[in-house]
Amino acid sequence: MTENGSGLVLYGNAAADLLQEIFILDITTAQIQCEACGSIGAVGSLRLYAAPMGAVLRCTHCDGILMRAVRTPHGHWLEMTGARCLRF
Amino acid sequence: MTVIEAATVPVRRLEWQLAEVREIVVETWRVKSLLLHVATWQGHLPGQHVDIRLTAEDGFQAQRSYSIASPPEDELVTLTVERVDDGEVSPYLVDDLRAGDRFELRGPIGGYFVWTVATRGPLWLIAGGSGVAPLMAMLRHRARRKARTSALLLYSSRSLENVIYRAELDAMAVRDPDLRVVNTLTRQQPEGWMGHRGRIDKALLVEAHFPPEQNPKIYVCGPTPFVEGISRLLVELGHDPLTIKTERFGPSGG
Amino acid sequence: MDEAPISRGFRSRRQEQTPKNRVPPGQYVTTDFPVLSAGPTPQIKLENWTFALQLGGSLLGKWNWAEFEALPQTTIKTDIHCVTKWSKLDTTWQGVTFDNLLKAVGLPEPPAAYVMAHSEGAYTTNVPVADLVGGQGMIATRFEGLPIPPAHGAPARLLVPHLYFWKSAKWVRRLRFMEKDERGFWESLGYHNYGDPWKEQRYDGD
Repeated sequence: MTENGSGLVLYGNAAADLLQEIFILDITTAQIQCEACGSIGAVGSLRLYAAPMGAVLRCTHCDGILMRAVRTPHGHWLEMTGARCLRF
Repeated sequence: MTVIEAATVPVRRLEWQLAEVREIVVETWRVKSLLLHVATWQGHLPGQHVDIRLTAEDGFQAQRSYSIASPPEDELVTLTVERVDDGEVSPYLVDDLRAGDRFELRGPIGGYFVWTVATRGPLWLIAGGSGVAPLMAMLRHRARRKARTSALLLYSSRSLENVIYRAELDAMAVRDPDLRVVNTLTRQQPEGWMGHRGRIDKALLVEAHFPPEQNPKIYVCGPTPFVEGISRLLVELGHDPLTIKTERFGPSGG
Repeated sequence: MDEAPISRGFRSRRQEQTPKNRVPPGQYVTTDFPVLSAGPTPQIKLENWTFALQLGGSLLGKWNWAEFEALPQTTIKTDIHCVTKWSKLDTTWQGVTFDNLLKAVGLPEPPAAYVMAHSEGAYTTNVPVADLVGGQGMIATRFEGLPIPPAHGAPARLLVPHLYFWKSAKWVRRLRFMEKDERGFWESLGYHNYGDPWKEQRYDGD
């Protein structure tokens, strides 16, 4: 994850390296469904927040959190309770 | 170099590879392209990026992302770097780096912001400043494959001296009737400039465009406000958000 | 490659002339104020804003903006340290200390040992009460004498400067007292539960 000190909104494609460390597969082209509102979109098109601390990927329709991921020296963390499903 | 036809990337763990600088090309007064030899390189798709990592003698490390500006048809991997004042990494890459120097690189990363000649539909590229780099990979790939897809690059720069790849883009446009390159200069224009002035606005997006009915594949890359603004205008002009792919580019910490 | 290859001539540019005893290990000093958010900047209208103290299901106190501004104000000058390695020295904040909030609701002692701070947009962070009392924590409403800007947590944020700055929750709306510690947004995703910059407690397991 590159250092982004300006806090600007990025898109999921910018989290591709962190996600690929976790999934091994590049999931930025995978379709992900929001648990809260049901809308579907590519992981790469989601709004990415908190980039230097990790990846918080939010639904482009309802802003709900679909995925959160963090890289630490002791391993990776992933939380996806906001996603109904992921289709590769 | 084999071109990967389908828009899928091989499944493999992202690992750091060694990149050696073979050649450095001065693009503008603060932009250089680094042509890298990566012995373990497995290929990439136009639009993807890499992470690079520099290690100092005292162990200090810095990591940054850069889009790949070269097409998959090239042997060497090209990164185009803009020098950011007070940056940690870009001043080193632009001012200090020499042919023969080495650093680590991993990738390619990001299958989302990708275009290949296998994709149907006109290609509409909109670039802000150094955001032109991944779009250049797409245009170079298109040229190498001699594709006849209609393509348009709408490119916003501060001044003529800041237009990256200017000579190459002019030459591409001259010999390719299906490619149109439209420059707009936002801050300074040379005397006698007959092209566009000022930022890309709705009017320019209507004048230099493919209408929604032609179902263009749209790629927008530049600083975040640029990208967000243009995307909004494109949707207002009737383009399906699903056909618009965006990538934020530019100084990400320097 | 066992060791990362050295890039000839590369070195860190962040060689600041900073007093070592003010900069925790692994940090560099910046004069910027980088913005880091887990979500979009909320647009909060002052006339709709409230701040509450809760214990279990019950409300210990609730203030609207005018009422909150009427509480005793404290100004502090302090250093802040972000887990992403930047530190900013001599920042000035004004707001209502945690101690004064307890006084305002008539509690001579905190009712529980832990607090979960809840912000607009479902962000949470947990802090031991022991780290909020004695002037260590406040709900800040001014930064450098001016209202806190939206991107930095307007109109009010928690401020606990002796811990990593993710604990200073932006857009804070309530503090919920807890008998038992619970992990907040980042603490439940790999970050350290406590976050002492001087012990470099960035991640769970550090």
